[in-house]
This record gives sequence, structure tokens and C-alpha cells, in this order.
Amino acid sequence: MKKHNSFSIEGQKARWGWFFVAPAILFFCLFSLYPMLNALWNTFFNVKLLSLKKPEFVGLKNYAYVLSSPDFWSSVKATVIFTLSSFIPLTVFSLVFGLIITTRKKRHQLLQMLIYSPAVLSSVVAALIWLLLFDPRGIANSLVNFLMRTPGIDHKWLTEPAKLYMATAMIYFWKYIGYFTIIVATGVAKIPTSVLEAATIDGASVRQTIGRIIMPLLRPTTMMVSIVAMLNCMKSFSTQYLFTQRGAPNAPLNVLTLNIYKTAMRDRYISRACVMSFILFFFMMILTIVRMKTSESKE
Amino acid sequence: MKKAVTVFLVTLLAMTMIVAKGQQESATDLSAPVTIVVWTHDDPNRSVLEKELIAEFTKQNPNVTVDYQTYPSGKMAELLTVAFSAGEGPDVFNQSQSVIRQFVVEGQVSALDPAWLGYRSLSDITSRYIEGSLEAVSLDGDIYGMPLEYTNLCCYLNKRLFREAGLDPEKDYPKTWEEMMDISSKLVKYDGEIIVSRGFDFRYATYYLMEMLPMVEQLGGKLVSDDGKTAVIGDEAWLKFFNYMKEWGPNGRNLGGPTYVSVSKVFDLNDGQVAMSESGLYQESRMRSANPSFYESDDWMVIPYPQWKDSDLRVPCHVSCHYYMVNGNVSMAKQIWGWRLVNFMLSHSEEYLKRVNLVQPTHELFESETFKNMPYSDVFKTDLEHATLTYYSANSSAILEKMKQAVEAVMLQNQDPESVLKNFRRQVQSILDEE
Repeated sequence: MKKHNSFSIEGQKARWGWFFVAPAILFFCLFSLYPMLNALWNTFFNVKLLSLKKPEFVGLKNYAYVLSSPDFWSSVKATVIFTLSSFIPLTVFSLVFGLIITTRKKRHQLLQMLIYSPAVLSSVVAALIWLLLFDPRGIANSLVNFLMRTPGIDHKWLTEPAKLYMATAMIYFWKYIGYFTIIVATGVAKIPTSVLEAATIDGASVRQTIGRIIMPLLRPTTMMVSIVAMLNCMKSFSTQYLFTQRGAPNAPLNVLTLNIYKTAMRDRYISRACVMSFILFFFMMILTIVRMKTSESKE
Repeated sequence: MKKAVTVFLVTLLAMTMIVAKGQQESATDLSAPVTIVVWTHDDPNRSVLEKELIAEFTKQNPNVTVDYQTYPSGKMAELLTVAFSAGEGPDVFNQSQSVIRQFVVEGQVSALDPAWLGYRSLSDITSRYIEGSLEAVSLDGDIYGMPLEYTNLCCYLNKRLFREAGLDPEKDYPKTWEEMMDISSKLVKYDGEIIVSRGFDFRYATYYLMEMLPMVEQLGGKLVSDDGKTAVIGDEAWLKFFNYMKEWGPNGRNLGGPTYVSVSKVFDLNDGQVAMSESGLYQESRMRSANPSFYESDDWMVIPYPQWKDSDLRVPCHVSCHYYMVNGNVSMAKQIWGWRLVNFMLSHSEEYLKRVNLVQPTHELFESETFKNMPYSDVFKTDLEHATLTYYSANSSAILEKMKQAVEAVMLQNQDPESVLKNFRRQVQSILDEE
């Protein structure tokens, strides 16, 4: 491997490169890497919030406790259901909306604004708005009853597990679809127009252009969208938290992040919360690698 | 001779300790400027009163300044846990018995030295309070907090709605839980199966141990055995309770549930949303502010906490007690001034009662004309005479959450009470085993 001379142009560029990324690296080390390593260290001790006693080394006991806890596995189940029911529609529909926005000649900006506007709301505000809609006397019941001609039926959006999964996934979809649509639209816009023009001249239909040209060229974008959407769904917290605060049953909503929060803040077992965080991190890393590998193999 | 020497040595030791304690205080410079940071939960009416009392206190003690900060009540426990864990806790704070116990057990709060307040012994202070009210802040003979509010829940009843349903509120008010369900069935109004007006509903949220556990205890059941080692005693009592809650919920007679708006928030509006709501004496002050004409009218009354029909055990609603505490990790001067501030504020118990309807559990207050003249204070007092503090331990928040989940499982998810009970016992036992 050829080494750069430090006085060469490449060497100088590399030095300036390091200079510009140094603040970001410093911030990452200070506010992300150090807390992560500290959390990993804590998993081997019995650290308890408020306790003035020196934490004892317990080895892998915290891991054994968490992995044998039914509460943890019910959280894994809730997380998996929520992630699958949110990230698949998010990935598919962001692609559909992205294509619609970029192919429409008229009012595409208005459409873009309509789809993106929920993304500017905070998750807490979004959840609060939807809680009002899902209230037994709210719009959700009225609308469904109007459409299905079933006056006075309570569809139990906030109490039945299946409806709760649907309700929380719906909120998440509504909140984030705009964000991912914009990413897809940007990806489509980056496809050279000459390629699309060449396809049109060669007589390709719209379906052929989308299926044979746009979709393969969009693969890096769709991969990025699917990974980010999946990771965001696995980290979802505020919607579930607010629903449980408003009386919805805990079990179907007890996603891993909520369990981590309760274990740390309510039960004060910070070490166990760190263990769950690391398990979640591990799952997320594995799934990201798998997704990247499957995408690479298609190429 | 030996005996005389022993007595002399013991006396000398005792005197040395007293002098040392006195020296500790005299070594602390109490004239130096000091700022006391107070964290308390949101209560607009109480904040006004406490700010006035603080102004008076700082006027009397010009070297003391007080930084009074309020936070949402639901967030306080979390904020305090994080702040104390980081060594940044406030100098003075208040919380309920279920939260503060962990601060006491973990040694985070200051033990009161009666000399700081000018008393000779701790009993001079504890004798002011009614029996049992200081339990949650007592440990190894020391006191770690002073009660700010002592609240039991009774049932507020809207007479107009009773009359409209063809009931006589004075005679037909529910005395038993069975009657509560039957009367609520008569009062509830639906649009199809959606409730638009409730007869009675529970408080849910953080009230499970306070308002629902007595229902189990009236039947002889217990959350924890007397020795604190065994969880969930008396299956029959627990099953009867779970079946009742199942019947109450949307899969039973559909009389209410935790996803509806809290009844205590809408009772005062007198707009037909709810006919009965459990609340403390403080609700009268809220009603007076929110709806003065309803407060002044003869359209409401307060009835005791119901009992089961076949229950011999008199167990009214449990008591929630909020205590003011002083941070034990701050300088001695701050601890002393913190305790003096708390003592000063809480010595105005009649002001707290008159202006914010908060009851402090002092003998003097219960015997005062102010208390006796409060509407329906006798109903609260009669229940209080049989009441005990809501369950508290270092892990009571976790146990509360498990009870909430169990009630939700039978009520909202229609699960079988027997399997819910089995699961609930396993969870609580696991918490107890770790204590």
C-alpha cells in the first residue's frame, strides 16, 4: 500500500480532513461512545440508582436475570410486532409516495407538504392528538361507525391488544412517512434524466421504467430507508409511553425501550436497563448487517 | 465502686455526645448567606401560600434565600431519582410515602435533630402528629420527613344526577361495593355501547394501592404478609376483587375504565359526565375554584368509602401522605436551614387547610374549628380513624405497576382472573425476594 507523504497534496488534504472531522469525532466519543462503554461496564456490576453503596461486580448475573425474565421476552414480542407492523408499511409507502411526488407534474409541492407536515410535530404531540382521536367518543370510532354503518360501537382502540398494535403503528406511520418519502423523492431526483429519456425513446412503458430502471437505481436509497425505518421503530418510546399513561394496558405496549425506562427509572436497576439496551443494540446491529448483506447479494 | 465508675463513664459519654452535637451546630456558620433550593409538585393554590410563607421566613432570616421550583407531579419521582443519583438533588423536596421510602432507606435524606428546631427531644415533634402518620419517614428511631398532606379518599356524589335517575341521594347512596355497581348501572348513560356519562368510576393511574387494595383487605386478603416475605395472601379475596373489576370494565357491565377521562377532573364541572368520584378533602378547594356555584349549591355531598356487603373488616381507603424532606448530602448549614424552613411552613397547618384544603395529620388541626367547619370533614375523619398509610417500601412503585397491570389484564384484556392472580403473585414475590 502506497503511503502518502505528509508534505504531499494528499497528505495535506488528509490533515485538513482530520481537522474538520475532529469536532464530530470528539462529540461522538464524549456523548455517544463513552456513555455506551460506561453502560457496557455497568452491566457487570449491580449499580442501583440512589444507592450510596459501592456497586459490586456480579459478572454475567444481570444478563442471566434479564434473559430469564418473562417480562423481557414479552417486551421483545411487543417490539417485534410493533417494528414489523410499522417499518414494512413505512418502507413500501415511502417508495410509492416518493414516486408519486416525483412523477406528478402538478401540485407535487402541495402533496409533498401534506405528507411531510406530521414529521415536524414532536412525537409527544402526535401521540396526544391521536389519543384524542382514539378516545371512545373520538373521531376514530365515529368515522369507522359511519363507514361501516354501525352506530354506537366502541372499537376499543385503546384497550384491545390487536387494536393497540394497529393504533400505535398507525401513529408512527403517519408521523414518519413524510420523512422517508422525502428521502426516496431525493433518491429518484438523483437518477440522471438522460437515462429516463433514453428509456422513453426506446419505448419503455411507465411500469418498465419504474421496475427496470428506477427501482434498481434506487436500491441504495431503499436500503437506507428500510434500515433507518427499522432502527427507528425498534427505538420507539414516546407513543407507547403516552398510551400507557392514558390508561391503555401495559402488556401490548411494553416495548423494549419502555421496559428499559421503567427498569432504570422506576425500579432503579440501572445495570439491568443497560443489559437490555445492549441486547437491543445487538439485535439492531445484526438486523442492519443482515439487511445490508441481502441487498449486496442482490447486486 | 465498680457500678459508680460505670455510671460516671456512661454519663460522661452521654454528655460528650450532647456537647459534640451542640458543637457540630455551633461549628456550622448559620449566619453565612445560604440559598435553599426547594422542589415541589405543581399545585397553583399551594404555591401561592408557600411563596408567602417563604417570604415571611426569609424576612425573619435575612441570610437565607429560597429558590422555590415547581414540577409536574407525575415527573417529580423521576426528576428526584435522577438528580439524587447524580448528586444534584434539591435541598428540600416533597413526595408521597411510596416514593420517599427509597430515599430514606438509601440514606439520601437528612435525619432531623430536634435541637435544630429548638426542641429538646424528637418526641416533642412526633407528639404533634397522629399515630402512624410518620411511619414512612421513620427509620431506626430517627425522623426523615414532616407531613405536608395526609389524604384519604371518600366519595363525592352529585345529588342532582341521582335525583334525575329517580334515586334519593340521602337514602340510596352506595354503602357497599355491590350497591356501587348496581347504582352505577342505573346512572350510566350510553351512546350505543360508548359511555357518555358514568355513575361512578375509579381513579386508576397511580391510585391502585390506595383505592383498590382496601377492597381486597376488606375481604381478608393482603398484598404482603405481615413479615414482609410472602406476596399476595388470600386467593378468595383477590379473585373476588379481580372478578369485580372484570365486571366493571368494557367486557363486563361496561361502567367505566382507565382510558376514560379521570372522573376527579370532570366531577366539579357538574355537566353530567360523572355522578360519583373518589377524592380527598382537597377536592372541595378545587371545586370552589373551578365551579363556585356548584360548590355553594346543595347539589353535592360526600359519602364514606364503601365496604363489601359480607365483609366484617372495616378498611377504608388508604392514606397517601406527602412529606417534606431535606437532602442529607448537602452542607450542615443547608440541612439545618432546610429543616427550619420546612418546620416554619408546616407550622401553618390551618392556613394550608383554609386556603388549599390540605390536611396535615396533627392533633391540633383535627381538633380545630377550621377543620370541623369544613363541609363533610367528619366523613373524612371517621374514615381516617380506621385508615392506614398506603403500602410503602423501597420497591412500592414497582409493586404498584404490577397491580395496575393485573387489573388491566382482567378489565381491559378480558383475561382469566385465576391466571392473572398467579402471574401477579409471581411478579410481586420476585420483587419482595430482591428487597
